[in-house]
Amino acid sequence: MRQIPHGTSLRTGEAWAIAFTYFTVAITVSLVHSTAGTPTWVIVAATLIVNSATATLAYAAVTAAGGSVAAGIAGGWLTSTRFGVLAAALAPRLWPQRWKRALAAFSAFDPNIALANREEKDEDVRRVYVAMSLWLVLPWWLGASIGALIGDLVSDPKALGMDAMFPALFIAIIRPQLITQNARLIAVSGAVVALGLVEVLQGGLPFLVAALPALLALRNREDRKG
Amino acid sequence: MLTWGVVVVLAVGVYGQRALGMALINPKLMGDRSRQVLAMVPLSILCAVTALQTFSSRGELVLDARVAGIAAASLLAWKRAPMFLIVVVAAAVTAGVRLL
Repeated sequence: MRQIPHGTSLRTGEAWAIAFTYFTVAITVSLVHSTAGTPTWVIVAATLIVNSATATLAYAAVTAAGGSVAAGIAGGWLTSTRFGVLAAALAPRLWPQRWKRALAAFSAFDPNIALANREEKDEDVRRVYVAMSLWLVLPWWLGASIGALIGDLVSDPKALGMDAMFPALFIAIIRPQLITQNARLIAVSGAVVALGLVEVLQGGLPFLVAALPALLALRNREDRKG
Repeated sequence: MLTWGVVVVLAVGVYGQRALGMALINPKLMGDRSRQVLAMVPLSILCAVTALQTFSSRGELVLDARVAGIAAASLLAWKRAPMFLIVVVAAAVTAGVRLL
């Protein structure tokens, strides 16, 4: 795993940090499914083909709380809507060939899209997206498989602070992007909107609405006109 | 509890949404203004995800040990510490506060 595209802003340390985080969180996610009674091979399959912890965890949370299978699936789909929006955001900078983008869509996650998006040249966007997808998905699959196999040997992932790893990683990714006033405004608005809506809207809907502050990107242009 | 059927249905729905965004919508039809907005969508959504994973649990706002861990992570990120350190310190501080 030494594939870091040269000439891009991607750093080896970032790739390792993401790999480590996804590996560890994947173990945790598998343990959650394992304690909910999901058989080992179903957990491994879920990791490989759903390729989204938020979707499977939402399903587990809804059904564990007494919701029907249909409600669980709806919850799972809703929580992963943000991947569709993120994918659409990166699409104009990826390959013109539709089949390549269809293939790349399978691993549309938050960090690889955010890191690819910060490149200036479209060619670098593609290289970083491919590299980071591998750095993310392979440890993810490995960690999930290990977690499914060891079952409940790790008694309490929360005692190890594992639930703080994802948000910490995201903060590290967000930080370098806060260089313009507009970016800072969009960042704060996204967070505030999500926190304001989390108790009002279901599943992934707060994330969808939280995409709207991106419209503030048009603010400067309006200023210049006026 | 996940079953094979549920896994397949979830997979179809999740991939469908990703493919819809990345492949089915034609980027050539997007104008400059749409691209400008779309370029900021990951930042906006990432901040939303971070905020909810720090201050909420199962659809409810909560303040717990994670807040301390993320505060430490933010401080380190502000000082431009390596990403790896940021993640490890966040987990360690969160675990430490839970021990108290």
